[in-house]
Amino acid sequence: MTKVQITIDGQKIAAEAGSTVLEAAREAGLDIPTLCHHPALSNWGACRICLVEIERQRALQTACTFPVTEGMVVHTESEKVVAARKFVLQLLFSERNHYCMYCQMSGDCELQSLAYRYGLTEWPYPRPVEPLAVDATRQYFVMDHNRCILCRRCVRACAELVANHTLGVRERGIHSMITADLNVPMGESSCIQCGTCLQVCPTGALMDLKSAYRGRETQVERTRSTCVGCSIGCGIELVSRANHLVRIEGDWDAEVNKGLLCVVGRFEPLFDDRQRVTQPLVRRRGLLEPCEWDEALGLVAEKLSGDSLAALITTRATNETMTQFGRLFRSLGAEMAAVGSLAPAPGAEGRLTDLAEADVILVVGADLKKDHQVAGAFVRRAVDRGARLALVADADNGLASYATWHVGFDQMDSLVGMAAQASRPVVVCAADLPAEAEAALAPLAGKASFLGLSRGSNSRGAVAAGLPLSRGGEASARVLYILAEDDRLHIPRNGAGFVVAQASYVGPLTDMADVVLPAPIWAEQSGHVTNTEGRVQSVQAALTPPENVWPTVKVLKTLAGRLNLAL
Amino acid sequence: MTKIKVATDWLEACAGCHMSFLDIDDRILELLKHVELHSTPITDLKHPPEEGVDVGILTGAVGNTHQLEVARRMRERCKILIAMGDCATFGGICTMLNFFDKEEALRRGYVETESTVEGRIPRSEEIARPLEKVLAVDEVVPVDVHLPGCPPSADAIWFVLTELLAGRMPVLAGDNLKYD
Repeated sequence: MTKVQITIDGQKIAAEAGSTVLEAAREAGLDIPTLCHHPALSNWGACRICLVEIERQRALQTACTFPVTEGMVVHTESEKVVAARKFVLQLLFSERNHYCMYCQMSGDCELQSLAYRYGLTEWPYPRPVEPLAVDATRQYFVMDHNRCILCRRCVRACAELVANHTLGVRERGIHSMITADLNVPMGESSCIQCGTCLQVCPTGALMDLKSAYRGRETQVERTRSTCVGCSIGCGIELVSRANHLVRIEGDWDAEVNKGLLCVVGRFEPLFDDRQRVTQPLVRRRGLLEPCEWDEALGLVAEKLSGDSLAALITTRATNETMTQFGRLFRSLGAEMAAVGSLAPAPGAEGRLTDLAEADVILVVGADLKKDHQVAGAFVRRAVDRGARLALVADADNGLASYATWHVGFDQMDSLVGMAAQASRPVVVCAADLPAEAEAALAPLAGKASFLGLSRGSNSRGAVAAGLPLSRGGEASARVLYILAEDDRLHIPRNGAGFVVAQASYVGPLTDMADVVLPAPIWAEQSGHVTNTEGRVQSVQAALTPPENVWPTVKVLKTLAGRLNLAL
Repeated sequence: MTKIKVATDWLEACAGCHMSFLDIDDRILELLKHVELHSTPITDLKHPPEEGVDVGILTGAVGNTHQLEVARRMRERCKILIAMGDCATFGGICTMLNFFDKEEALRRGYVETESTVEGRIPRSEEIARPLEKVLAVDEVVPVDVHLPGCPPSADAIWFVLTELLAGRMPVLAGDNLKYD
């Protein structure tokens, strides 16, 4: 790396050539304030808060966009700079409704904290009085234009990270407004509600309906974990307060997703309104009645020891649970299965990061707008960068508009042949492909890197624990044990005489069960899950389960003890 | 040495700023060694004296013609005017009204309230009329010291008063400057 010698606030710094003044300053531990800048996004220079004085430059320059050059001398808090920053803040506060006291971001707002830093005790300019529209047409979060400072972080996140290009700016000057598509309500736009814009918004302009007013940064706890919404296994931060989940954010440092999440991972868990199972239940005279653990486990142990037995487990379970489940039911001679499936990989297994290097991406059978949505974002990013997308899928596939070629399975061979000619092809396969489709991919073995998207969050963990995968409907035995936890499994009874459901929520499974054992939900247990690339990642409990709900592994171990199995 | 004369008044306010002022607790005894607390809304004297005071403190926003008069009178009768609290400095929560139609707000408040029967909007000549817009104090009269906060902490109030007593213009920073 070439270095250039610069001076910032009297400190001599060897900065990397090509870096910006801001990067050089931060590298040296110097604090230049920013607002529109975000480390995950491109540099923009929209807000002018990072203005610095650079000797021999006629005007103040934005540190976030100005590249360092040899011998440069920078002043970051000179009188002139501070006056300019105050002026910028005063203008920002005068432009729209920034009355902190009725905003949910107050206390965590980046604009507010800059106002404190620069001692803004008054607003010298006229205050805004014309209210702007609030767009509440989306299900999970609201756009309040009154709080917007037009920093365009949301626009950049939508374009550069999610590559969905929903957001933009319409009009010019004081009439500028963040807008969706060709100025339609957000809820009717091409927005996929991934909430990445929400996560990068520096003010209260984008408001999360669930977490608004439910706790400031100083009042909440953050737990780094892994999303079990699908087999991508995105890194997340669980934001909780007083044993309640407040919000889920993407973990910027996570290798898999680098901060990105989708609607399934960010919002849906917060809106799970199913009724919890909080104590063991036993069916008597057709009705489920509460009972003690001792009684329920006694009854289950008795049923497990004699009859023909089938045991099913959710692929949302952790590797630790899978292992314990396998040990117990293997020694009981049960027919076991985890409810999920792997995608075919006839060649070298790839990683999600391969998409960033690919020149041709062949997506087979997957709709990445519906499932594995973060992979969808990576594919769209690749297309933005110039990669070509070849889609073998139904006509209504969500990525159809990004595809250069789009055919059905019957014409798949032509695209396989084309991908074989590419220099860095990546094949993205859905699970449960028709056998012919799998066979048709064979010519790409040794040429392409294969990214299989397994169905079920931890199907790979199940396989590693020696559990076969199934759709869940095939098991037939006299006794059926279903470890569902919080999964919405649909398992037919298939004539079983006795059904045990280890479940977090009341639902179709508990409706048919003879014994229900309460189970923690995903955010209440620690362990590991293995994502679709084979990456083993940590899941951390952020919440404590209800008092009478035992950890899943403890239940399995206790059952083993009752059956005198040394596991 | 003669004591510094201080008068306070509240405009469109919730009284929280005055409560926070009282939260300086026993420091008020120290304050009273140097200060003659003249008129305040929470003592018997309600109007600042015609001969004037050294420091005037206003809390609350200016929302009607009466408050406008009170603010102007305080400005005329004090040397240093402090706008105390978010409402006085920025307009605060009272300015929510500015984002609604005034007549609609009056109707909602006096007629359509769930507990109101046969309500009427009071329009007597003898009572104050709402202004077109709710304003911060410095939109009406010049202000010398802005002390924002909802309410400003007792420590921030104490800081501002002691700085003034020491002959300095207070510069708020750190925990003394909070409006969240």
